[in-house]
Amino acid sequence: MSDLAHDQVVAHHDEHESTGIESRKLGMWVFLSSEFLFFGALISNYLLYSNRAGFDGIYPAEIYDIPFTSVSSFVLLMSSLTMVLAHHALSRDDQNTARTWLFATAALGSVFLGGQVFEFTEFVVEHDMTLSTNPAASAFYLLTGFHGTHVAIGVVMLLSLWGISRRQGGLSFRQGLNLELVGLYWHFVDIIWIVIFTVVYLLSSPPG
Amino acid sequence: MSAEHRPHPTPPQYWRIAAFLAAVTALEVAMFYIDRELELGFLNTAVLVTLSAVKFLVVVGWFMHVRFERPMISRFFTAGFVLACSLYLVVLAALGVVAIRG
Repeated sequence: MSDLAHDQVVAHHDEHESTGIESRKLGMWVFLSSEFLFFGALISNYLLYSNRAGFDGIYPAEIYDIPFTSVSSFVLLMSSLTMVLAHHALSRDDQNTARTWLFATAALGSVFLGGQVFEFTEFVVEHDMTLSTNPAASAFYLLTGFHGTHVAIGVVMLLSLWGISRRQGGLSFRQGLNLELVGLYWHFVDIIWIVIFTVVYLLSSPPG
Repeated sequence: MSAEHRPHPTPPQYWRIAAFLAAVTALEVAMFYIDRELELGFLNTAVLVTLSAVKFLVVVGWFMHVRFERPMISRFFTAGFVLACSLYLVVLAALGVVAIRG
């Protein structure tokens, strides 16, 4: 039996009997659904402290660089485009194009992460706002830091798939499902940033 | 036609969706600066939340393919989102961060 045929048989056995949805895919959707609670807690924590008066030190909303963060948001949005193009190319068995878009997605994710490192460095060095400056700063770093960690995990997964594809000359049927799952995770990270960009950067203001 | 039998978008359509998302992001940033000048208050909040919701739904519907998947998947996803929003809205209201008027 060829590798591809074997993969298809294995994938068929993996399919959940009652739902008709591949169990790993269903698991990823349930996981992403539960992630709303995780990020919801961090966003609520930020809203609770971001404009509460009486803390010492600078508030995050006083020092946001909106043009810079807007460019970062644009980069992450475009990485969702390259991700979906990689998935589309693989669904047509165009392995080279899929690999190119996969790498482009990882590269855009890395640019976003670089921007976040630059932003954090600016806040610490230029404005002396550290994790322990006040609860508003802590909430900001906790929320955006955890989002950044999710992006970093996504970049590692994307580069792993890219490396496997490069070594094997393409992704098999089963590995193709992995790309779909990583894609779902990546788009989820993007939609969380859509919320963070609006709630944290565009709508929040310092007290007074 | 059921959701799972709808044809997925083509690459040119994905590019158009991305251009739309970029345009909405530009509009959001423009709103931020307009509000600085005109102090629109609640109107600014309403517009920004609406634009953000549009981007959210477009990415979930087209890029995550929820529009083209089985309804069970969108139910799982919506349930998690609604649960999280409801829970934290109640918590923030109880702590006085947001006001819910009856």
